[in-house]
Amino acid sequence: MIKLSDVSVVYRKGEENEKCALKNATLQISQGDFVIIVGPNGAGKSTLMKVLLCELAPTVGTYYLNGKSMRGFSVTQVARWVGRVFQDPNSGIFPDLSILENLSIASKKGVRWLRFRSCPQKAVSLLSLLGLGLEKNLNTRAGDLSGGQKQALAMIMAIISDPKVLLLDEHTASLDPKSSVKVMELTRQINEQFGITVVMITHNMPFAEQYGNRKWKIEEGEVYEYEYRPPVCLTRSENPFPLVGDQRRCAPKCV
Amino acid sequence: MLGIVEQGLILGLMSIGVFISFRIVNMADLTVDGTFALGGALCVRLFSLGLNAPVSLLLSLLAGAGAGILTGFLHRKLKINVLLAGILVMTMLYSINLRIMNGPNLPIPKTSVSASLGTFEQVAGKDPLADLFEPSAPAAAPQKEIAKHRTFENIFLGTADGQDLLLLSAIVLICVALTGLFLRTELGTALRGFGTNPSGLESFGLPKTLMTLLGLGLANAFVSLSGGIFALYSGFADVTMGQGMIVTGLAVVMLGEILFVRRKLVYGIFAPILGGIVYQGILAVVMRYGYRIGFRASDMKLLTALFIVAVIGFGLIQTKKRMKGKFRLSTIFGGGVGRD
Ligand SMILES: Nc1ncnc2c1ncn2[C@@H]1O[C@H](COP(=O)(O)OP(=O)(O)OP(=O)(O)O)[C@@H](O)[C@H]1O
Ligand SMILES: [Mg+2]
Repeated sequence: MIKLSDVSVVYRKGEENEKCALKNATLQISQGDFVIIVGPNGAGKSTLMKVLLCELAPTVGTYYLNGKSMRGFSVTQVARWVGRVFQDPNSGIFPDLSILENLSIASKKGVRWLRFRSCPQKAVSLLSLLGLGLEKNLNTRAGDLSGGQKQALAMIMAIISDPKVLLLDEHTASLDPKSSVKVMELTRQINEQFGITVVMITHNMPFAEQYGNRKWKIEEGEVYEYEYRPPVCLTRSENPFPLVGDQRRCAPKCV
Repeated sequence: MLGIVEQGLILGLMSIGVFISFRIVNMADLTVDGTFALGGALCVRLFSLGLNAPVSLLLSLLAGAGAGILTGFLHRKLKINVLLAGILVMTMLYSINLRIMNGPNLPIPKTSVSASLGTFEQVAGKDPLADLFEPSAPAAAPQKEIAKHRTFENIFLGTADGQDLLLLSAIVLICVALTGLFLRTELGTALRGFGTNPSGLESFGLPKTLMTLLGLGLANAFVSLSGGIFALYSGFADVTMGQGMIVTGLAVVMLGEILFVRRKLVYGIFAPILGGIVYQGILAVVMRYGYRIGFRASDMKLLTALFIVAVIGFGLIQTKKRMKGKFRLSTIFGGGVGRD
């Protein structure tokens, strides 16, 4: 469902300090996959995320989502299929609004009009699934929650509008070990029970071991897969694609 | 005395606009100075062209919204810093206002304009306390002719003094109620979310540009409406009437927040109204007794700006003491100005 064909990203192209952050990445992610991406700082992981979010158009190559080329699409357009949660707990929620208001914004995608806001029951029941007690105080200001609660809320918000893919960029990085485990379990549930494809960047090696059915490593902009298992959730998947290329390094040439 | 409340309501209406841009959508929009005068100029011009007052006000409201939308457009599409975009539009409006009025000021027909035109403080500060302290003064006291030409009464209502107040209160209450209802809708909720996390909103499919245009348009609609009302109220429009209005508005917003920190009535849009009335009261007292220490109406801007500095400084000291900050400083200047 996600396909990158020969995608390269070059920052500051043509300038002296030109930086090739992603080199000829050819990747495929199929429905139901849980992809873990690891790699050192500055390797290009977030750059890959930005491409998937359409924040950044690939310098060369094409990004396909559901078989459609995403060239020229904006972040807001691609948001219909893609949810995201990033490292900063405040980036995924609206701190000044109550939990309920947060959920009501998230429960819909795209432009909205003058209907009075409502909060779908599904969102609240998902919230109670967490066991953090958030559903009891729906009028709490989201900014007053703890980091872990914020991240959990952000995850719920990212999935209640039913995206096809959930992109996570070090979403447990600012949490304490206990909260991160909770959030990771939620991530697994999202993947296994709802069949949402998850792409997750992490620096946490135990998590990288424990979770996910596909493991990718990025080094200096080159992506390769080092582990593959069939996805746990096959309910929504169409026959998972074979390996992208076991241990195959992309040709280290840059545009 | 009633004059204070009336002018306070007009000021409060303008400050709702400032509140929306600075607090709700979290953008330091400086278009306000231009839109306040635009509202006044356009309203008086349309009125003297023969349109009735409500229609003139409505059209100037729309023009104000247009000015705000232009600022938002410059900011989002041409990537101009919000501050600069606001100043650019404000500067454009200066020329446009002169065109609209065909001169630096424009009186409402059949009202004699006395010599003292000028900024809001200079006009509104014209001793509205007089009726309180000089009850023996004749009904049509000379200060009223300057501060208020009773045009409003002629336009909307009968004659009695309280009716202006009633009308203004009704307008303000309707505005507050409509805004309150709007902020409850899905779109309004999203707008409030936008203020604290613009990029976050993008991932739910709402473009920043749209929300910026909406927020700044709404804010400037209020400012322009207030400018129009003020012009009808005082009997003329002047190209300088908006000068420093952003500072006054911000001071009013802060004053309202100091007075009403605990309760956020109608998402906080009620605070500027009360702030406006209190501000106007302070202005009246300062105007009445300030001359003893050599104070002039024109010094009011200095005082107002210093007040803002003091409030921010005080808030900073408070946060440094690790007390719970009363004022969200980051949204005033820290986060508000530089953020995209
Ligand atoms: N906007 C930018 N302009 C220029 N260079 C950039 C930009 N963003 C990233 N880079 C460069 O691209 C490279 C990859 O950055 P990226 O953010 O993808 O790293 P990362 O793998 O996410 O690292 P980390 O683990 O620290 O998050 C880095 O060398 C960085 O310097
Ligand atoms: Mg990164």
